[in-house]
Amino acid sequence: MKTWHRFAACIALGLVGGAAFAVHQVRGGLSDGMVEIGPWETGKSFGTVDANALTRAKVALSGLLALPAKEAMYFTATRDSDGRKLNGRCTYVVRGGKLDGRWWSITLYEGEGWLVKNAANRWSIPASAVATDTQGRWSFTVSPNAQSGSWLPTGSVDAFDLTLRLYHPAADIIKNPEKAQLPIIDRKGCA
Amino acid sequence: MMRRCLFPIVAGGLVALGAYQATLLATPYALMQAALKKIGNRGPENQFAFSSMTTAANQTIVRPSPDLAYAACAFDVSKGPVLVDVQPVPDHYWSVSIFDARTDVAAVRSDRDTKGKAARLALVNAGQTAPAGYEPVRVGYDRGLVLIRILVAPASTFPTIDAIRRKSTCKQL
Repeated sequence: MKTWHRFAACIALGLVGGAAFAVHQVRGGLSDGMVEIGPWETGKSFGTVDANALTRAKVALSGLLALPAKEAMYFTATRDSDGRKLNGRCTYVVRGGKLDGRWWSITLYEGEGWLVKNAANRWSIPASAVATDTQGRWSFTVSPNAQSGSWLPTGSVDAFDLTLRLYHPAADIIKNPEKAQLPIIDRKGCA
Repeated sequence: MMRRCLFPIVAGGLVALGAYQATLLATPYALMQAALKKIGNRGPENQFAFSSMTTAANQTIVRPSPDLAYAACAFDVSKGPVLVDVQPVPDHYWSVSIFDARTDVAAVRSDRDTKGKAARLALVNAGQTAPAGYEPVRVGYDRGLVLIRILVAPASTFPTIDAIRRKSTCKQL
């Protein structure tokens, strides 16, 4: 093999390999390398000039037009509270208490962040849709089958994630998201 | 043999590093361009397009919120400042955010910031000035996106909110 052949082969491999590795990392999910709070993960630099190139690319792919933390925080869970991947054929109870912000909602997505078709035409549970007890505790069910009370359908997809949006979060949560008291995701069973 | 391969391998490694970084840097621009094109298809530049509530059947941007009413304006300040007037929706969370071509947020103003009053923003590039009565927002790139979010809760309030938000404007000076 001539010298220029070796250079050409290595440079071609470098080009393809470098680009492929970048795509692999960007597609690796919204949450890699961020702050973990139980099953939930978030980042501190969404939408800001402080975001590094990898975070900016990940957010552009999985959460384009995300707001900075002072306006809204996004917590994403791809696993339940026992660490098992969220499965659309399973039933979960999501339980939480008062979330320290102006308004919240939890939305179910599949793939890179698409709403799931379902017969109930319901894709999220906003704060106004759950009943709270005297201590401010609430719960709702995530399931492929209709449930009594607040129910978020999974559409029986293979895998899904839950995104908790917290608008106008309290200063403490912005500063220390790892200390936020976020909901538990409890798997009850699978079909 | 090793010596003959060393320089090509080093060159390949450097090219790989460059390709990795270039791909990361290009991704937000490419995805924002795709978003601007999608929104551009729904209305002219420098003008709001008012979406119906998002469902699984009408998603244009990844990870939409089905609880928010959106209005989007693909802006271009190359021919002059773009003025954004956002009509307030009483007793509802609303915000207007300006995203540049790299997906960074140039500004966000919500009903909390304006104390319930209208938001009046002038998007300007380095050589332009905002007219009186408008808060200047300097954008690093000529093109980008203005996005209004309004919380619709309960869902039955959408017609009322829709009528109010359609008074918001995005226009070139």
